[in-house]
Amino acid sequence: MAEIVFDRVVKVYPGGTKAVEELSLTVAEGEFMVLVGPSGCGKTTALRMIAGLEEITDGVMSIGGTIVNNVLPKDRDIAMVFQNYALYPQMTVAQNMGFALKVRKLPKDEIDRRVQEAAKILRLTEYLGRRPKALSGGQRQRVAMGRAIVREPQAFLMDEPLSNLDAQLRVEMRTEITRIQRLLGVATIYVTHDQTEAMTMGDRVAVMRAGALQQVATPQDLYDHPVNEFVAGFIGSPPMNLILASLQDQDGELVLRFGDQNVVVPASYRTSHRLAELIGARVVFGLRPEDLELASGEGGVLLEATVDLREALGSEKLAYLSFGADSGIVEQEIPRDDGVPVRRRSRVVARLGARADVHEGGRVTLRLNVDNFHFFDPETGASLRAVAS
Amino acid sequence: MSVVSSPMSVRVTSSRRRVVTRTAIFFAMVLMAIVMLYPFFVMLVTSFKTQNQYLTGHGTSTQSWRQLASTLPVYQQLLNSTIVCTASIAIILVVGVMAGFAFAKLQYRFGNLVFLGMVSAMMVPLQAIVIPEYVNVARFGLTNGYLGAVLVYAALGTPFSIFLFTTYFRRVPDELIEAGIVDGLGYWGVLWRLALPMALPAIATVTVLQFIQIWDDLLVGLLFLQNPAERPITVGLAALAAGRTTSIPQLMAGSLVSALPAMIVYLGFQRFLVRGLTLGIDR
Repeated sequence: MAEIVFDRVVKVYPGGTKAVEELSLTVAEGEFMVLVGPSGCGKTTALRMIAGLEEITDGVMSIGGTIVNNVLPKDRDIAMVFQNYALYPQMTVAQNMGFALKVRKLPKDEIDRRVQEAAKILRLTEYLGRRPKALSGGQRQRVAMGRAIVREPQAFLMDEPLSNLDAQLRVEMRTEITRIQRLLGVATIYVTHDQTEAMTMGDRVAVMRAGALQQVATPQDLYDHPVNEFVAGFIGSPPMNLILASLQDQDGELVLRFGDQNVVVPASYRTSHRLAELIGARVVFGLRPEDLELASGEGGVLLEATVDLREALGSEKLAYLSFGADSGIVEQEIPRDDGVPVRRRSRVVARLGARADVHEGGRVTLRLNVDNFHFFDPETGASLRAVAS
Repeated sequence: MSVVSSPMSVRVTSSRRRVVTRTAIFFAMVLMAIVMLYPFFVMLVTSFKTQNQYLTGHGTSTQSWRQLASTLPVYQQLLNSTIVCTASIAIILVVGVMAGFAFAKLQYRFGNLVFLGMVSAMMVPLQAIVIPEYVNVARFGLTNGYLGAVLVYAALGTPFSIFLFTTYFRRVPDELIEAGIVDGLGYWGVLWRLALPMALPAIATVTVLQFIQIWDDLLVGLLFLQNPAERPITVGLAALAAGRTTSIPQLMAGSLVSALPAMIVYLGFQRFLVRGLTLGIDR
């Protein structure tokens, strides 16, 4: 078991493509770290650099206190689980699992013992004599895990290991991997583009975008306090509503104005989000879908809207709302320096109770949860929160 | 009035059509088998006759089989053919596997261009280069030993071998090789312990095809194996046929002996051969 440290690690491919940009990240001993981000954000490259499958262009990478920039993959003592499992087709399950140990010339009885032990943990004992092609997707996935476990490595690296499984099996294996990781207590770096996996599995989650690390935090912290518009829009399903609004001071009250809507902002945000300094300027107002609820009476901060679309999911209803032609909420794609634009959607989404009485085309009055307002700089996308996590 | 056929009648018609088609295919195959097997039948029957019996068309005898070894050093020539075949195929396989793996999995500058160059060598017929090849081999003084012929066969068979192994290894996912590297293997280890066992069908394909080609070849053996003691069986048979008094039954017995090894190798490996030749089609 060991700590993995990226210290300003850079990866530039021949031809000049910058895949990872000055990545600094520490994965503690026994920690389950999830790297998440859209395709091409550099998360897999970062993982492959730990494995030694990609050379590091600049910066320092260390595993267990040893700098590994120039250490061969076989000498790094890490185990990797690949997206398509990469099981050796000509070997049985037991041979697949024991192969790395055989290469390292461990005694046969020690190999057998470890394979049996791992098979027990993974419930694979009865399949040890089979070839990979005679296994189901879930079983293959478990063999791939087994191959990593028997190594008793310093760290596990997992590259989207669940993406080839069907939805139900994915949920099952999600808990299975988490269970095994907790059981073994080995530092694990898990790459995924699936935010549900990121939120449910990770002790901490690192969000990446265009090769740059955006935020590292616990899943809850990431959800509650995104450091920028990208993280806010990426984490959460449906994502956070992001509305470009102008900030006004109306008779001593802070008011957000978009189209013909006025939203009164509690005074506490003046300091917590430095809004006092931004009166007269434009800000991006962020609100999670669950922070909008149907208003049953007067009081609080209310918004009137028309329901454009309603999605009943059984346990909840999603209402897609518009605020009239003059609302000022339009589909926007904001270019960023790193070349990956941020998208703001034209509709506001509210997550309502399963029994909420909403109909397409109907008018509703919504109460906003004033405790969970988010504000971002419209130019840089950075959160305006004074003590950003 | 239109006639609407019921689903039942459609089913009956289509199954009847299938029976007819299959019967036709069966008879066509039987016909082809007869055409293919007839020469073997003639060889077999003729070999059990004396020259007179062959001319008159009556009677059987084992005389030609008994005399075969004395007329023709058949065992020595079979051994010669085996030595040349084995050595050539060994070179073809070793070079093919290593080059195929390198072309498929190692990235280097102009790799594709070199590969194209190698593969285009497959298009050059032996007859077109046999004279310059002979001059080269003769200059090195290699026409009086197995080595000259072995090198020529290896040179002729290697392009196809490289092509087949490259295609084969390209289908092996990169992740599998990376898994091997993370598991502690170097490139050699990956080649010998992972890629090679996976390439068995391709190895079988190359072995069978090259064996048949080299075993049955006459031209290279005739030109590059000048020492009579090192003649392969095909050259021996040709010499027998070119003699002034050719015993047809003996020639047939010799031909049968020379055809057997190629048939055995083919039958032994045909299971892999089909898999190897359909590379990229299945999956």
